[in-house]
Amino acid sequence: MNFLKTPGFGGTSVQFSPFFETRLAVSACQNYGIVGNGRQYVIELTPNGISEVCYYETNSILLDCSWCECNENLLLSADGDGSLKLWDTACLPAANPIASLVEHMSDACCVDWNLQRKNCFLSSSWDTTIKLWTLDRSTSFRTFAEHTHCVYGVSWNPLHPDVLASASGDCTLRCWDVRSPASILVIGAHDSEILSCDWNKYNEFLLATGSVDSSIRLWDVRNHMIPLAVLDGHTLAVRRVKFSPYHENVIGSCSYDMTVRLWNTVIPQNALLATYDHHTEFAAGFDMSLHEDYLLASVGYDDCIFVWPHTSDPRM
Amino acid sequence: MENIVRRQQVLLEHLRPLERSSTSLVASPCVAGDSAAYERATDYNDDVVIVAAYRTPICKSKRGGFKDTYADDLLAPVLKAVVERTGLDPAEVGDIVVGTVLAPGSQRANECRMAAFYAGFPESVPVRTVNRQCSSGLQAVADVVAAIKAGYYDIGIGAGLESMTANPMAWEGSVNPKVETLQKVQDCLLPMGVTSENVAERYNVTRRAQDEAAVTSHARAAAATAQGKFKDEIIPVETKLVDPKSGEEKPVVISVDDGIRPGTTLASLSKLKPVFKKNGSTTAGNSSQVSDGAGAVLLMKRGVALKKNLPILGVFRSFAAVGVDPAVMGIGPAVAIPAAVKAAGLEISDIDLFEINEAFASQYTYCLQKLGLDPEKVNVNGGAIALGHPLGATGARATATLLHEMKRRGKDCRFGVVSMCIGTGMGAAAVYERGSIVDPLSNVRPIQNNNFLSHDAK
Repeated sequence: MNFLKTPGFGGTSVQFSPFFETRLAVSACQNYGIVGNGRQYVIELTPNGISEVCYYETNSILLDCSWCECNENLLLSADGDGSLKLWDTACLPAANPIASLVEHMSDACCVDWNLQRKNCFLSSSWDTTIKLWTLDRSTSFRTFAEHTHCVYGVSWNPLHPDVLASASGDCTLRCWDVRSPASILVIGAHDSEILSCDWNKYNEFLLATGSVDSSIRLWDVRNHMIPLAVLDGHTLAVRRVKFSPYHENVIGSCSYDMTVRLWNTVIPQNALLATYDHHTEFAAGFDMSLHEDYLLASVGYDDCIFVWPHTSDPRM
Repeated sequence: MENIVRRQQVLLEHLRPLERSSTSLVASPCVAGDSAAYERATDYNDDVVIVAAYRTPICKSKRGGFKDTYADDLLAPVLKAVVERTGLDPAEVGDIVVGTVLAPGSQRANECRMAAFYAGFPESVPVRTVNRQCSSGLQAVADVVAAIKAGYYDIGIGAGLESMTANPMAWEGSVNPKVETLQKVQDCLLPMGVTSENVAERYNVTRRAQDEAAVTSHARAAAATAQGKFKDEIIPVETKLVDPKSGEEKPVVISVDDGIRPGTTLASLSKLKPVFKKNGSTTAGNSSQVSDGAGAVLLMKRGVALKKNLPILGVFRSFAAVGVDPAVMGIGPAVAIPAAVKAAGLEISDIDLFEINEAFASQYTYCLQKLGLDPEKVNVNGGAIALGHPLGATGARATATLLHEMKRRGKDCRFGVVSMCIGTGMGAAAVYERGSIVDPLSNVRPIQNNNFLSHDAK
C-alpha cells in the first residue's frame, strides 16, 4: 500500500529529500490549479505505507517544491500568487512560512536548488523571468529576462554551479551562466511549448526537454543543431523530465496523458523501459530517489501520491 | 478572476492537440493507407461494414420482365436474400430503410412493410422509406450507416425499390404560379432531358461523345453479362408475365437484365432524333432507360460481423450530398465525389473504381472530364444507359455492382465510389473500402470436427 490520498488537493510536484531516504515533499493545488488554495505536504515512508508528517496551507495554488540542499528542514514552494514560500519543518506550523519572497509578477511555477553552491536557488515564473536567490537575502540576486513566454522549467547544471538551463513556452531552451550578462545558448528545441528540462547527472553537456508536442528530446550543448535523440511515446504534453541519479542513460517522465514512463536513451528507437498508468488524471510530478536505485514517486491531479520500486505495479 | 482566466489558458495550451507528421494516431481511417508500402491496419470494430449486397435484374418498364410484377414482389426477394444467404436471423435486423421515389409516399411505405413480411421478417422489425430522388437507394444505405454509428441498432438493411411501370414520372395537381418569380424554382420543374441538353450546351459535350459513352455502356454491360459477372449480385425473381392480347398468365423466373443491347453501334445511335430539343443531342439512345428493379444492402458493425463469422464485403467510409444549379442537375457527381472523397481523407487519385449513374450521357461525360477520371475505372460493367435506371433502386444496385467488382479485383482495388446526380439539382456520393478479409465462404472459423485432411492432424 504505497500510496496516499490527499482529498481535494491534486499533486503538482514531488521531491525526495536529499537528507532522509524516507521523506518526500509534495506540492498540491485544488481544482486543476485553476482556482483555489494550495498545500505543501511533507510525507514519510513507513513500513506500513505512506504517512503524512504535516502540511502547510497557502491562499493560492502551489506549482512546485524543492528541498534545501544545506538544511534538512528547509523546503521551498513556488506559489501561484508569484511568491516563493520557505518552510521550516522544525518549526511549529504556526511559525511557517518562515519567509515569503514576493517578486514575480505572475504564477511561480518552478524552483530548483543549487547542488554545489548550497545556499542559492532559482525560481521561474509565468511572468517570463527566472530569478536567482540566496538564502541570506530577502530580495533576488539577479533576474534573467530574455524569454518571451512563461518559463515552465529551470534546472541547475549539477556539475557547474554557475550554469543553468531554462525551458519556456516560447519554444526555446536557454542556457545561462551566472557570470555572464546574457544567455549563453539558445536552442529552438521544439515547435511547441517546452514544459520541462533537466541536466544529465553524469554528463555535463547533456540536457533533456519535455514538450507539449508529447516528445522528449535529448540535447548535447556542444552540438545543438539537432537533438541527440527524440523519445516518442507519450500521447499528450510531457509535464516533467528527470535524469536518473543512478544511471547515466535513464530518464523518467510524466505527462498529461496520465502515464509515468522510464526510458533508456542508449537505443533511442527502442528507449521505452516502462509505462506506469496508475494515475487517473494528469500526472504532474515525478521524482527518483537519491538513496535507493529505481525507487520512484509520482503525483497527479487525481489527488494521489504513489511511491514504488520500478519493477512493481504502483497500485500494489 | 484574471488569475483564473490565465491559468485556464495555460492549461489549455498544454493540452493543445498537435499537428504531427508521424504517429500511431491517424486523423482518418483511410488516410495515406493506399500509397503506404505496408498493409495498414485501421480496422475498427465499430466500422460499419457491408456483409451482403444483392439486386434484382433490372428490366425495362412496361415492356420488360417486371411489367406485371407488383413493387412489393420486387423488394421481397432481395430482402429475403440478404438474410438467407448470410444465415442471419431476420429478427436481429434493427431497421429496414428503403429508397423509393415515384410512388405515393404512404402507399409505398405500406408496400415496403408488406414486402418485409413476404420476405419472412417478423413484425418486430421496422421499415421506413426515404426519398432523395435518384440517390434514394444510396441515401437509404447512408441513413442505415448513420443510425448504426449513432448506436440506434447494430444491424440494418439499406434498400432501394422502383417500379416505373406502376408509377410513371408525373406531376400531381397544379403548379404554384409563384414559380415565375424565382429562376431556380422554375428550373426545378424542368424535364430531366432538358437539363441534360443544358449540360451539353453549357459544357460543350458533343453528340458524338455522348453516343460513344452509350456504346461503351452497352458493350461493357453485354460483356459483363456474357462473362456471368452479374450472377454474384443478381437474385432471380419468380414472377409472372401476362400476354397483353390473350390475358394469359405465365409463371417465369427473371434472372438477367433485359435492357442491354449488345449490338449498339455509333452508327445506329447517330440515327436517333433528339427528344427534348430541336438540334439537341440527348436521344433515347444516350439516356438512361426507364426500368423496374430493387436492391438491398445488409450493414452491420464490424465487431458484430466478426462475431457472426460473416464475410466483410466492404466498409462504408463516407457520404456526401451537395446541391448544384437545378438547370444543370446532371453535374451533381462532379461536386459530390470530391466532397465524399475528401471526407474519407483521400484524394480522387486514390479511388480505384467508380460507379457513376449514367442518367444522361451528357452529364456522365462531363463529370468524367471535370474530375479527370480514367474511363477504364468508371462503370466497368456498364451503366444506366445499358442496364436501366430504376430511380430509387439505383443507389443500392450500384453499391452491389461496385462491391462485387471490387471483390473480384482483389487487393489492387481498395477504394470505390458510388455517385449519381439528383433531379432538382444535387449530387450524392459515397466512398467504400474493399473488405480486407473477404472470403467467399466465410471468415476463418475453428474446425469443429477433425476431417483428417492432413496426415499431421491427429
